[in-house]
Parts: sequence; C-alpha cells; structure tokens
Amino acid sequence: MNSLLEQFLSEARDFLQGIGEKLMQLESDPTSTPLMAELFRFVHTLKGNSGLFDFPEMTCVLHASEDLMDAVRNGRVNYSQTLADQLLEAMDFVGSLMDEIEITGKTGSNHFATSTELTKALRALLNAHNAVYVPVAIETYTEDGLAVKAISWSELPELDLPETVAMGLYRCSIDGETVFWLEYTPEPECFFKGEDPFFLARQIPDTAWRHVILNNTSSTLAEMDVFSSQLVFQLLTIAPAVELDDLFRYVPDQIHRVKIPALAFVKPNGRKDSQAIDDDFINNVLALLDKDEIETLIRTINTMLELSSPELWSSSVLRWALQLVDVEPENKSAQRTLLNTLRAQTPPDWSSSIMEMNEPRDMVTVMPSVSVNLSELSDTLLRDFNVVINTQREILSLGGTWSAGRLKSIAATLLGCYRAVQKLHEVESIESALQLALTKNSPEPLLDWLNNSSASTQELVFTAEEAPIIVSNLATQNEVKFGRRTEDAVITGAVAASKMLKVDQDKIDRLMNLIGEMVVAKNALPYLANRAETVFGVRDLAREIKAQYAVINRVAEEMQDTIMQVRMMPVSFIFQRFPRMVRDISRKLGKEVELVLEGEATEADKNIIEALSDPLIHIVRNSLDHGLEMPDVRLAVGKSVTGKLLIRASQESDRVLIEIIDDGKGIDPEIIKHKAYEKGLIDETTLERISDQDAVNLVFAAGFSTADVISDLSGRGVGMDVVRSAVEKVNGTVGIESEVGKGTRLYLSLPLSMAVTNVMIIQSNQQIFGVPMDIVVETVRVPHSHIQRIKQKQTTVLRGRIVPLLSLNDLLASNVEQLPNEDNEFATLILRVHGEHVGILVDEFRETVDIILKPMTGILGGLAGYSGAALLGDGSVLMVLNPRELI
Amino acid sequence: MKQILVIDDAATVRLYHRNILESAGYSVDEAINGIEALEKALVKPYDLYVVDVNMPKLDGYGFLNEFRRQEDAVQSPAIMVSTEMGENDKVLGYAAGANLYLTKPLKPTELLSYTRLLLGEVA
Repeated sequence: MNSLLEQFLSEARDFLQGIGEKLMQLESDPTSTPLMAELFRFVHTLKGNSGLFDFPEMTCVLHASEDLMDAVRNGRVNYSQTLADQLLEAMDFVGSLMDEIEITGKTGSNHFATSTELTKALRALLNAHNAVYVPVAIETYTEDGLAVKAISWSELPELDLPETVAMGLYRCSIDGETVFWLEYTPEPECFFKGEDPFFLARQIPDTAWRHVILNNTSSTLAEMDVFSSQLVFQLLTIAPAVELDDLFRYVPDQIHRVKIPALAFVKPNGRKDSQAIDDDFINNVLALLDKDEIETLIRTINTMLELSSPELWSSSVLRWALQLVDVEPENKSAQRTLLNTLRAQTPPDWSSSIMEMNEPRDMVTVMPSVSVNLSELSDTLLRDFNVVINTQREILSLGGTWSAGRLKSIAATLLGCYRAVQKLHEVESIESALQLALTKNSPEPLLDWLNNSSASTQELVFTAEEAPIIVSNLATQNEVKFGRRTEDAVITGAVAASKMLKVDQDKIDRLMNLIGEMVVAKNALPYLANRAETVFGVRDLAREIKAQYAVINRVAEEMQDTIMQVRMMPVSFIFQRFPRMVRDISRKLGKEVELVLEGEATEADKNIIEALSDPLIHIVRNSLDHGLEMPDVRLAVGKSVTGKLLIRASQESDRVLIEIIDDGKGIDPEIIKHKAYEKGLIDETTLERISDQDAVNLVFAAGFSTADVISDLSGRGVGMDVVRSAVEKVNGTVGIESEVGKGTRLYLSLPLSMAVTNVMIIQSNQQIFGVPMDIVVETVRVPHSHIQRIKQKQTTVLRGRIVPLLSLNDLLASNVEQLPNEDNEFATLILRVHGEHVGILVDEFRETVDIILKPMTGILGGLAGYSGAALLGDGSVLMVLNPRELI
Repeated sequence: MKQILVIDDAATVRLYHRNILESAGYSVDEAINGIEALEKALVKPYDLYVVDVNMPKLDGYGFLNEFRRQEDAVQSPAIMVSTEMGENDKVLGYAAGANLYLTKPLKPTELLSYTRLLLGEVA
C-alpha cells in the first residue's frame, strides 16, 4: 500500500470518528450552527480526500452526504433523527469500504448496489418530496407460458439514472448482455400472504440500479394503510429472463419486464446552458467525425471537457460521445445524432436508430490512449497559458476594492506565464503597467496592458522556432509515469512533518519484547556475581558486578517505564463507541437513556484496554436491555422517564477502576436465587441460606442468563461469566452491587499494565513454578498433625477458618507425595481464588521475581492450567501457574 | 529551489500535493489552516501558494484576503483548490486574491503544468 493511501485511511478513520461524535452532539443540540459547520467540514474534507483515489462508491456516498449536510447547514433541510440515522449508515458503509481497502488495497465490485441505495436515500432526504409515479400504458401478451405484461421501452417512465450507471449498462448492453427494466408492483394484501416484497426485490440478481416509489400518490401519509403495500419497485438488471421469471413465478402478474436497447441509456443530463458550447466547436467535431479522424476527435472533446464544468448538460453529451466512439466506433449515425443534440440541447431521439439496430455485436474495446506525448504537452501548455491569462483578465474585470497585494500577485502571475513561454520582452511592460496600477490603485492599467498586448489574444500561437523547448524531462517522465493511476506512480514516500508520531503497533510490541529480553539479561548479572564469588572465588569482582548491575537495573527499569507510557492508551478509546451504541440500542428497545461518560482520560496498557472492550460492551448492553426500564414503567414507579447510565473510569493506585452504573430496576436476589436453583447451579440448602449479595453474584456463574426472552441484544446464552473470565484473563476482578428498584453498579478493577508480573517461585516435585503474587494471600507451614480430612478432602484450620488444602502434585496429576520439611511441616500457599481462600501444598518456597510473562502459544496454548512462561536470569524457563483454572 | 506553501486541513491532500510537487523538484512547506499559513508566509516568502478553501479557524478566502493586504509581503501567485465548482465560489476566490481557481482532485499533470507556468519556468 502506498503512503498516500495509508495517510488517507488513517485520516479518514479520524474523520469518521469525528462525524459520529458530531452527530451525537447534534442530537442533544440540534440547532447548533457551529456543530453543523464542523460536521459539514468533516464530510466535505473526507469526500475531497476520497476523490484522490479511484473509489467511486465511496466518493458517491460521501458526495451525497456532503450535499445533504450542506443543505442542513444552510437551513434548507431540517436536522432529524432519520437524517442522522441515514448519515450514520452511510458512514458505516464508508467505514466498511475502508476496512476492505486496508486489507486488499481496493474495493470489491459488489458495493455498487449498496452505494447507489445509500446515495438515493440521502438524495431523497435532500429533495424531501416523493417521486411521483406515472402509470404507464400496458398491453398483455404471453411469452414462455407466463403471462408477462409488456410495455415498449419508449413508454417507460423517465428514469433518473446516474450517468455512471447508465454508462455501465450501455457498455454491458453493447457487450451482448440483455438489460431488463423490471417493474414489480406487489399486491396490497401481499403481507397477509406471507410474501416479502422487499426480500424478493433484493433477490433479483445482477441489479444495476433500483428504486422504490409510492404507487398511490393521492392519499397523504396519515391516510395510508400500513398493512397494505403501496410500493412499486423499479430496477434494471442484466439477469437472464429465465432467472427473473423463475424468481417471480408465484407473482407473474405483478411484474413487467422490458428489454432495453443499448442506445436508450444514452441520455445526457445536467444543467443546460446554451452559451457553453459554440457552433464552431460542434461543426468542428462533426467534421472530424465525418473525416474519421477519431484520435483528433477524442482529443478535441477531451479538451472541451476539461474546459467546461462537468455538471453541464453539454459536458454530459461529450462524455457520452467519448463512450460511443470508444464502444461503438462503427455506429457513426448514433454519434452524429448525439453530437447534434449539442445545438438544440434537447435529449437525443433514438427511436429511429434503435428500430434499425441489429443484434448487439461483439466489440473490441479500444482504450483511449493515455500516454502524453510532446506535441500534446505543448498543446497543454498553450491551453494552460490561455486559461491563466484569461483568468487574470477575468479577475481584473471584477469590481470591488483593490489591495496592492492583489495587483502585485496578478502581475507576478502574468510575469510567470510570459517567462514560461519565453516571451521575455513583455516583462518590462508588465512591470511598468503594475507601477501605474499601484499608483492609481486600480486594475485598469494591467487590464489595458492585457488587452493591448499582442501575445495575450485568445489565440496565442507559437511559431515553429519560437516554440519553447517544453520541459522535456517532464514529458519523458510523463510517458513512463502517467498510466491509469497516475497518483500511484508520482507518489514517493514523503512523510508530512508533525509533532505527533503515529507509530505502527508492531514496532511498539517489538520494543516491548526487547525490553523484556533486556530485563532477563540484566537479571543474569546477580547469578554471575554469585558464580564469581563461589566458583571462581573473586569476591571483589563479584562486588563490582553487583554495583554495575545496580546501574543497569536502574536504566532498564526507567526504560521499561517509558515504554509502558508509550503503550498507555486512554480508556476513551473504548468509551468513544458507547454514545452511538447506547443510542442505537435504546432506540431499538424504545427506551430513553442518558449516557454519561466520566474519566475518559484515564490511561491503561493497550492490551488491557483492548481486552476490556468486549466485556464492557456486553455489560452496557445488559444494563440497557435488562437494567433500565421502559419509559412508562419508570414513570409508574416515580422515576424520571429518561434512564441514566454512567460509565466511569478512575485510577486507584496501580489499578484502573471502571464502573457501569444504571438507575434501573436493579437485580432482585430472590429471582436470581430461584433461577440459579432451577438451572441447578445451587442446591436447596444453599438456596435457603445464601445471602442477598452472594445471590446477586450468581449472575457471574457459568450458564446463567435471566432474560425471559432472548433478544438479539444480549442474553443469547453468553452471560456474565464470559465477562468475568475475560476480565480475569488480564488479572482483573469484577464485582456487582445492586439494590432492587434503585439500580445496579458493576465494577471492573484492572491492572494498569500487564507487561511485568510479580511471581513467587515455588518448588514441587523437583521442579520450579511461578505463582502470581497478586493472588497469594500468605505463606504458612502447616504441621502434618493439623491436617484433617473432612469428606475425603484435606483441610486445616487457619486462624479459626477452615481452609481446604490441595496438593500441587495432585493438581498437576503427578503421582508423588508432597515433601514436608524436617519438622514434618508442609509449605502451604494460601491463595485467594474466586473470592475464597485455598491452601496449596508445595515442597518449598523460593524468592519472588519480576518476570515478563509470555502467554503460551501454539500447541501449548490450550494448557489452561498455566498462564504462561517466563525466562529467568540464569536462562531457565519458569512455568507460571494459573491457579484460577487449575483448581 | 522554488518554495511552495501547501495549505490544506486534510493531511491526505497535503501529502498528495507535496508528493507531486516534490517529485518535480520543488521544496514544499505545509500549513493546516489559514492562521498557520499566515504565520509561515509572513516569516518566509514563498514563490507559490496552493490554497484549500474550506478550513477551520481561517479559511482560504480569509487567508488570501489577509495576505494580499500585507504591504511588505512578496505577493506571489496563489492557486486556489476547491471541491466547489460553482461560479460564485470562483469569484469569491478571485476577489480574495487567488490567481487561479482549480477543482479537486487535481491531476498531477494539471498541478505541475500550472505550477511551472506561474513560476515562470522553462526547461
């Protein structure tokens, strides 16, 4: 991918984000002019950027969005929810296109229909009046045994096809495809017959264009019967007739299918301006056509196209002419008919040409030449020169006040142009005209100079010897470079200067790995010092190594901190998607929710933030779905209609606390208890004795879901247990507090960073293992005599509490007894697992170390009992246990 | 080496213009809005300005209006580049002090050809 495309994608994502945010803000402040202006600017710039690339679908949708926002900004269209929805949908589409571009470097060919649809919808909002359906004359005849009503193509209603679509269809049609116009009018009672007209219409294969109009324009929206279909689907498809008939075999009487001849698509559109093209030009091109000088013809048309505004009707005619010349070079009469329409500016009448038209032939497609040769370039220079000079004339003729700067700039421009064409003798006279203009403070002297100067007439002609040796290096470069996608070739990797650096994630990760290795290498020094002393007996060297270690240790720690800082990301990274999500979900559920975000600037490690994203979304969905009540229910219990959802992040020493608080109906412990009992999660005695808080905590139990109805929002069997395990995976904890009728508070507590883990090394069965320190409560030595068996399980009483004991060897399924020390005491780790204390019998305790934990990957990735491995300073591997899974 | 100031709020467009102009051997500076452009242009004179219209803080019209009013500044040509092709937008640009009004997206040939012309360059 080239750097320009990368820059585009990265900037475009920022814009999409910005557009989403601004729309959200507009929702609460729909009349804010600055917001609208900002929103327009975002869409506008994004569209401008996309225009640099060949992504027609994206540009098309963005263009429509831009026009719509422009109308909103100028008050021509009112901001509404539907409008916001439509814009958001369009932006989602653009986002999905960008994802695709990011992966494949281009957009697929299957977005045409979506983009056309979105564009239509946006344009519809812009026009804000319904299309009027004109009933067409219909005669019936039978074909293929199916009663298909047919109408002639010339009687079709005026189709407002975008030019690109029409051109595509025209080419298809010439290439031998049959294009059908299909009109599908579902009967009003269709909904009661189990028909789904919309689905059926979308089933039609190879649809190039479609739209839906209202069948019944006489009644107002309020009078319409929502249970009867009022729609007419109109579309153009290149699917075979058999396929279409098969698709509509149940409703043959509801469709009209008409074959459309290629030329019927040749229908220029745009703003008509009789001044745009003069007769000379028309005569010229017609003459070229008669003389069969096709290349000159194409060049002339191209030149005219570049000189005139693309939205003109005449420009559309010229574009079509290029298509015709390209696709149907033999069909001179059609080309002539088309070019002749430039005079009267009336649509071409194809009825006679189509009558005599034969079957479509196979055509050799002639691509227009794209290389730039020298003579053409001198043409271009000449043309550009005239454009600039005429522009200066135009500017000088403008009224208003004149600043010296403007006059100087015009003189500078003229000087540049005349220098460029080597008319150096004009330089002096321009300068004196400027002096005169400056003293008079008027554009007249310059204008006079322009009008009097012989060289500035419209037709500046170079004589053979005078013709400048035009930038010949450019010309040669151009021949090589200006292929189809000029941008790709010209772009060399220049990077814009900026104070912020956007760095590839991989690079940071690599840095992180390197510092990990450095910590390990550094930790080897104490071992070395030890060896120097014990093996080689050089105590002084050992001391020096230790001193040096202290220095390296300090630098390494600082470095580690710095890299951690780089990896830190604000939680706003995940918070920013909530406004949109909450809005969408609450609208879907018919609830009114006010979302409050706090502490978005709180930072945590990138991995933590990323791991948090899914659980948080799940929790928020749960709160919206199950927590907050419907507006009428809230009113009935005396709460405000709008529910409040607060998502707050804060830092507590070395942990990040994230709270999700709603003022909904809360969790009823009674319901939870019984649900859990029904599902067999707790037994009868527990049901009797369980405290309310413990009951509420049951929502985290695996396989628990309280929703009576499974909605598509939450409660598809994936419950809070998934949230809990996702949070625990990054060494976090999750808790819940709830008061019936008042609301629920869910909180996640997460480490700031998970890069460095403090573990305690223990020994068992002649191997060493690591245990994360954050779950170690204490280490004790339990005398053999204090171990009792209760129900076949080993336990001991520790400070008045019964603690179950498990042997590590048993847990790891090695059939060896734990070794006690000389006093017959067992080394026991007391761990806090799932909120309970558990004792693990091991052979011996060792020191604690800071390690860089690497998760198990590949074939070892499935070993749930280990959270990962780490390299120790002496080069050995330490396996770190995951007691939560082990027990 | 001729110095060109590219003024546009979109980084993509700036990069696009920079790449085209640098490939032809010009030295390019960037400004992200009219204010920044003024700050740069008043410190160091440029040989050409490529100006976007719609920008935050100070737009292209605003920049040109202000810049052309500067007595001491070297008044180099300015190309205004916009997505708007309406006649009115054009006239506004000219009245503000643009010397050429082009429509986005610019083709590399187009930009280079006009640049060479305005800078008075022959091979």
